[in-house]
Amino acid sequence: MEATSNEFLRGTLKTIVLKLLAEQGRMYGYEITQSVKERTNGEITLTFGALYPVLHKLEQEDFLVTVSEEVDGRLRKYYSLTPSGSESAIQKVSDFERFVEAMQKLLQPNEGLTLNPIKS
Amino acid sequence: MKKLTPQQLSRLHNHLIGTNTNELLMNELLDHLACEAETYLWKGYNFDLALEKITQDANTMAVKYLRENYQQEVAMTETQLQNASLDDIVFEFRNKAYGAYDLRQNYPLALRNALILGIGLFVMLMSFLSGLSQGSWDFFSPSGVAWIAGLSAVGYAVGTWFYRGQKINFLQPT
Repeated sequence: MEATSNEFLRGTLKTIVLKLLAEQGRMYGYEITQSVKERTNGEITLTFGALYPVLHKLEQEDFLVTVSEEVDGRLRKYYSLTPSGSESAIQKVSDFERFVEAMQKLLQPNEGLTLNPIKS
Repeated sequence: MKKLTPQQLSRLHNHLIGTNTNELLMNELLDHLACEAETYLWKGYNFDLALEKITQDANTMAVKYLRENYQQEVAMTETQLQNASLDDIVFEFRNKAYGAYDLRQNYPLALRNALILGIGLFVMLMSFLSGLSQGSWDFFSPSGVAWIAGLSAVGYAVGTWFYRGQKINFLQPT
């Protein structure tokens, strides 16, 4: 699953990050990876190599603002949404939901031609 | 929750430096790896084992992937590129704090000041020599006017140079 899930993940990473930040308010990088891991039961793991470029990109696009705080002798960078980021989060999530619905329709076996016996 | 000691933190930091991590991502990655290390410690690993696991995951390849991915994602947009100077393009993703970027930024001003200073000094020297050969000095003679012009040019160049130096000193964080 590793390689293919990566491929699917690439297009949805921004949506995931925006959605999580919309729910949690403010988060730092490691927290985001852990949150994704927990909520998907380890099915999706974000690597730092994929996450931080997206975070910086979103910051550059003014969807996120950052605050750095010192924690245990190191700097921790907290991300939170800007107003335009919140809008974009709502937009992206609803777009993605429509996409998933459409995909489900595609993945459902075509009526009349189904090979799988229908369980009742 | 177990915390890392400063020594352990600096070992992680050294690892990141060793893998050639992007300067802009350094603090965040350090925090990321430190969080991972603390999770390992919490699970009961000792630090050396945790460090080994982390450095395996965050090896040169992973950091290289990060850098490439980063440069692709955070590259300048079309409109930014149109407004960017050559210096901005050359120094994108490079360490601007190191000094070369500042030198290049200040180069036009330094060149202009040097030119004005040179011309001013030359004019002053010429008028001084002509005054010397005439044996008398009058500020309203051509050489006197040239002296004043040269002096003000030198004053202007030195003044702007000094003023800029003051401003840079003032802006630098202490």
